[in-house]
Amino acid sequence: MEQTISTHIHLAPILFWSLMGTPMTPQNLLDNPLTTEKCTVGCPIIDRCLGGGIPCNSITELVAESGSGKTQFCLQLTLSAQLPSSHGGLSASSLYLHTEFPFPMRRLHQLSHTFRPSNDHNPCDYVFVQSVHSVDQLLDIMPKIESFIKNSSNSRLPIRLIVIDSIAALFRSDFDNTMDDLKKRSFLFFKISGMLKAMAVGFGLAVLVTNQVVDLMEPNEGVNGLRVGNLGCLYSSGRPICPALGIAWANCVNSRLFLSRNEDFVVRENQMVNGGVGGSGSEDFVCRRTRRSLHVVFAPHLADTSCEFEITREGVFGFER
Amino acid sequence: MEVSKLPISATQRGKLISAGYTSLSSICSASSSDISRDLKISETEAVEILKVASNSWCQSILNCTQTAWDMLQEEQESLARITTSCADLDNILGGGIGCREVTEIGGVPGIGKTQLGIQLAVNVQIPVEFGGLGGKAIYIDTEGSFMVERALQIAEACVEDMLEYNRFLRNDCQVKTQPKDILENIFYFRICSYTEQSAVINYLDKFVSEHKDVKVVIIDSIAFHFRHGFVDLALRTRVLSGIALKLMNLAKKFSLAVRTI
Repeated sequence: MEQTISTHIHLAPILFWSLMGTPMTPQNLLDNPLTTEKCTVGCPIIDRCLGGGIPCNSITELVAESGSGKTQFCLQLTLSAQLPSSHGGLSASSLYLHTEFPFPMRRLHQLSHTFRPSNDHNPCDYVFVQSVHSVDQLLDIMPKIESFIKNSSNSRLPIRLIVIDSIAALFRSDFDNTMDDLKKRSFLFFKISGMLKAMAVGFGLAVLVTNQVVDLMEPNEGVNGLRVGNLGCLYSSGRPICPALGIAWANCVNSRLFLSRNEDFVVRENQMVNGGVGGSGSEDFVCRRTRRSLHVVFAPHLADTSCEFEITREGVFGFER
Repeated sequence: MEVSKLPISATQRGKLISAGYTSLSSICSASSSDISRDLKISETEAVEILKVASNSWCQSILNCTQTAWDMLQEEQESLARITTSCADLDNILGGGIGCREVTEIGGVPGIGKTQLGIQLAVNVQIPVEFGGLGGKAIYIDTEGSFMVERALQIAEACVEDMLEYNRFLRNDCQVKTQPKDILENIFYFRICSYTEQSAVINYLDKFVSEHKDVKVVIIDSIAFHFRHGFVDLALRTRVLSGIALKLMNLAKKFSLAVRTI
């Protein structure tokens, strides 16, 4: 009993400050490690491209058209986050908020064979899944998420990763294209990202949010002719596109990554098999190959880099060109 | 100028101070009947005191004014500027970001506002021997885009630049600064709500008077928390202009550069 009381007294100032927000003393930048903690994505080549992985304490956005591998990337991250820090992970569980499809349980299970941190537990047990159908519901469950994360901090693998797949699906369905609704929408962008950032700082979380893309109709660059980030214009499947949710949302994220896919048609002439009979024995093969690549659109700690990757049964892996 | 130096009799002075009229402005804002009642003196005597007080008050205000010429001289002589490390940018800015000014930097996401912020927080620390200010920096981060590793990279490059400068000019001054010292001299505040933001900005006055060598305050960004949490836009404007005023006062008082992003 005495023990508990003394710990409470010891915790009192910490609790006070956590209630009052940041104390009015500046942080010494040397107190923390000189690199922000990162969560590996489970592939050394992609990690190198991202300077170690997805950074903690901030929001990273993953932009891509459907079928480019956003969800694959997210699923793999929930598994690699469980790796111990010696392997670049956070030794942490993760919270997966999905808004689009039924949660791809089978794929997660398949991937979990590749990323098995140890044999004594099933990695799928450490991925908490919650479906979200509307913006209001997301706002409603935010306090619950916070207390859930707080409670998990004493467990074996505390939650240190939040994935929202995808934020665009929430916002693109609920709002009309009127001035009033758009104003309300951007108000909510800042509110949600403010909450996420506060949690990210408070618990040292990595936050990964996926976003859809829209086709770009005008010939000029980017949204309203504004160029956002390193790449003037994003191309995927041969079309110029730009991230959904506009410039207001772009202000809400700290880093933005872009996955592109392009179909290559490789024409391979078939060697004549039957020598000289009939004359038209050659036939052209058309091979379709998807080239996928990952670009850093903007990030406070990264230069303009990119790498190619492929998606296999085992997961998402980069390769050297 | 204070009440104790007013050219009036000692008893009157004593009465004024004991009645709570400790500053000239408090006397001048009162009416003669107020004074005669508070000091228990006749009305004519009160009018007399008021006349003397308002005269010397006007004098003291006039003494404080400057001509435009004086101001120009002062600006040219003492207005220090923080280099951005980019010659073209410095040219446009007239030598860098000016002290005693509030500078705003705007731009689309990913254009490099945060990079410029970190760069200034490092460059303000370039010692006087190398043409810098040798000051310290306050970095108020509301968005969470400040990355320590990036600050370290910039600090390393800055130290390298100074070594290069030494070699080039065959200068004898030693480069004592280490990249880690540069990081240590950035006072970093991470802000998660607009109430915290207002509180920190209110606190800055005290903080800067305790740390005189702070030469730049960087707020990255001023807008983020004000774009949510405020339903009443009129209130938002009032709070924001209050903040702007405080920052301007701060900049003038301590001759530091305030930079909002």
